[in-house]
Amino acid sequence: MNPADQASEQERIARAKAGDAEAWGELYHQYAPAIFRFCRRAMPTREDAEDATMDIFIKIRQKLSQYDSSRPFGAWLYTVAANHCWDLLRRRKGRQDLESGEIENMPLEHPDPGQLEQLIEQRTSQEVRRALDQLPSRARMALVLRYYADMSYDEVAATLGVRRAFVGVVLLRARHQLRDILGGRGAMAGGAT
Amino acid sequence: MIHFDEMACLLYLEGQLEPLRAREMALHLGECATCRILLHALERESTVLTAALTEDNEAMPARLLSARGWNVPSWVWTFAFGAFAAGAYWLWADTVDPWLQQLSNAGFGGTDFVSLLFFSGAFWEGWSSMIHVLQIAALVIVAIMAIGLLRRRFRRPTAIAAMMSAMALALMLAQPAAATEIRRDESVLVPATEVIHTDLIVSGASVRVDGTVEGDLIAFTGMLIVTGHVTGDVIAFAGQMRMEGTVDGNIRVMSHTVAIDGAVGKNITYIGNSLDLTEKAQVGGSLITINGDADLDGHIHRDLLGMIRRTHLDGGIGGQMWLRGRNLTIGPTGEIGGPATFRGPRRPIVASGAKLASPLHIEMQEETRRLLFEAIQVTVNEIVGFGAALLLGVLLITVVPGFFHATLRETGRIGLPIGVGAVALLTGVFLLILGILLIFVGVGAGVAGVLGYAPILYVAQVFVGTWLGNKILGEAFNPTSAVIGRIALGLLILHVAGLIPVLGGLMWLTVGLWGTGAVLLGFYRMSRPEALPLPA
Repeated sequence: MNPADQASEQERIARAKAGDAEAWGELYHQYAPAIFRFCRRAMPTREDAEDATMDIFIKIRQKLSQYDSSRPFGAWLYTVAANHCWDLLRRRKGRQDLESGEIENMPLEHPDPGQLEQLIEQRTSQEVRRALDQLPSRARMALVLRYYADMSYDEVAATLGVRRAFVGVVLLRARHQLRDILGGRGAMAGGAT
Repeated sequence: MIHFDEMACLLYLEGQLEPLRAREMALHLGECATCRILLHALERESTVLTAALTEDNEAMPARLLSARGWNVPSWVWTFAFGAFAAGAYWLWADTVDPWLQQLSNAGFGGTDFVSLLFFSGAFWEGWSSMIHVLQIAALVIVAIMAIGLLRRRFRRPTAIAAMMSAMALALMLAQPAAATEIRRDESVLVPATEVIHTDLIVSGASVRVDGTVEGDLIAFTGMLIVTGHVTGDVIAFAGQMRMEGTVDGNIRVMSHTVAIDGAVGKNITYIGNSLDLTEKAQVGGSLITINGDADLDGHIHRDLLGMIRRTHLDGGIGGQMWLRGRNLTIGPTGEIGGPATFRGPRRPIVASGAKLASPLHIEMQEETRRLLFEAIQVTVNEIVGFGAALLLGVLLITVVPGFFHATLRETGRIGLPIGVGAVALLTGVFLLILGILLIFVGVGAGVAGVLGYAPILYVAQVFVGTWLGNKILGEAFNPTSAVIGRIALGLLILHVAGLIPVLGGLMWLTVGLWGTGAVLLGFYRMSRPEALPLPA
C-alpha cells in the first residue's frame, strides 16, 4: 500500500471510529473478502466461516476505538479474526485436538527429501486445500496463521496459547499430518537423521 | 556426516534460528547436498501451502456481499411490526375481546371492569393520584423507549441517570390513597350506632360491621359479618363471610364460605368453596363465581355466570344463566328469566314447578367420552402446534437466515437468554397491567405495547427446539434440510414432553423464557447499526 493509500485508509478508520457509517461500510467492503477467506481456511465449513466473518466484523466495530493506528490495520484485523476463530474452535466439543500438552513428546519421522519434493509437485492447490480441511483444528489454524495471515511466531503463539518455542513444532507437526493425508500415512518416512 | 534435523531446517528457513546456530547451518548447507535438498523441499512446501491458502477460489457469499451500508435493516422493522400486529390482533381477537364480551353480557360493561379488578374499590378516593402515577409511569416507558432508540447519542450513565430521575419523580409525585380509615385489631367491631364517612380498611381475626360505612369496606379477616350498611363495595379476603345487611355496591370476595342473607345493590364476584344465597338475599346485578357448592335460594336480578361443581337453584335469575359443573338441580321454586346453558357430565335435574323462560340448553359430556375427546383434542392440538412451529422455523431459516443463526447462537448461551426472557416477562406483565389501567382511563393505545410479546413467545420454541436438535444430532448449518431436520426433532421432543402433566408446563415456561430472551437478543444483534450485513 503506497503512502497515499495508507493516509486514505487511516482517514477512513478515523471517520469510522467517529461513527461514520459510510466509512465503516467502505472498510467492511475492503476487508470482508480477505477475512472471509481467512475464516474459510480456518473454520471447518463455509457456513461457519460466514457466521464467523459476521461476528468478527461486529467485534471489530466494537473494538475499533482500541485500534492502535501505528500498527497496520490488516494485521490487527487478522489478529481479531484469528482469536475469534480459535475461540470458536476451542469451544466446540469433540473437535479438540490431541496435541495440547503432548507436543513435546510427539515423535516426528524424518522425511525423505526426494519423496517430499515429488509429493509436493504432484498435488494441486485444490488437493492441498482438501487435505487442509481434514486437519485437526490446531494444525489447520497454525498453518493458516503462518502461511495465510503471515503472522510471526510470537503472534501464532499468542493466538494458539502455546509457548513461542513450540510454534515450530506445531507447524512441523501440521506439515507432517498434511503430508500423511496427501500421500498416505508413512509414505514420507524413512530418511536419515 | 551428521545432518541437521527437519525442525532445524524449518526454523532456519523461517528465520527463527539463533544467529550462531543459523551460521552453523549456513556453513553446513554449503557442504551437505542432503540437507540442501530437504531445505529446498520445505521451502517449496511453504510456497505450495501459501498458494493453496491464498488462492481466491471461492466467491464471497451473497449475504456478506450485500451489506447495504450499516443502517438498521428495514426487514427487521418490517418483521417486528408484522409480528407485533399479528400478535396484537390474535391476542385481542382470541382473548381480550371474548372476555370483555362475556363480561359485558354478564352486566360488567365499561368501567365496571376496573372495579371487577378491585382497583376502583380499593383506591377510589386516591384514584386521581393513581392516574397521575400511571401517566408518569407511561412517560417513563416512553422515555425508556426513546433512550433505546437514541442510545447512540447517550452514554450509558446518562441513560441510567435519566431513568432513575424519572422514576424518582414518579415516586415523589405518587400520593397514597387519601380519606381512608384503617382499623386493625384482634377483633374489630363497628357498632350499629357508628357511621364511618369514608372507606374502611380493616383487618383482624374477626370483623363485624353493624354500623354504616359510607364508602368501601375492605377486609382481611378470618370471619367477616356485615349486618349494617355499606354504601360502596365490599372487598374481602376472609375465611368465612356472612352478609345480613345491605351493600349498595359490589361484593368481591375470596373466602372459604360465604352466606348472603341481605341485599346487594350491584354484582357479586366470589371465588371459594361454598356459597349460600338465602331466600332473603337480593342481588341487583349479576353473580360471577368459581366455587364448589352453591345453594342459590335468593334472587339474582341479572345473570349467573359460574363454574360450580354442585349447584342447587331454588331462587330466581332475572337474566341468563351459563353454568359449568358436575351437578345442577333446579328446584320447584327455581326461575330463570333468560336463556340457560349447563355444561357437565351429568344431566341436570329440573323440578316440574321450575319456571324457565326457554328450555335449558344442555351440553352433556360423558366422563370417558369427555376424557377421550380431550385426549384427541390435546393430541391434535400438539400435532397442529408442532406443524405450525416447524413451518415457522422453515420460514425463518429460509427468509431470514441471518436472524435465525444469530438468534440460535444467543440460544446457545442458555443463561443470558433465560435471564433476558425473565426480565421481558416481568416487564410484559407490568405493561399489561398498565395497559389495562390505561384503557379504562381513556388511553386505549396503552395496551398495544404488550401485545408484541405473544408472537415472540410463539417463536421461542423454534430456537430452543433447534438448539435441542443440534445437541442431539450435532450442529449443522448446511444444507438447510439438515437444519430443518434438527428443528423438527427438537420441536417433536418439546411437544411430546409438553404432554407430561406439571413437568410439561414447567418445561414450556422455561422454553418460553429461554427462547424469548434469545429472540430479543437476536433482534438486538440484528438491529444494531454496527451489527450484521443483510442476508441476500
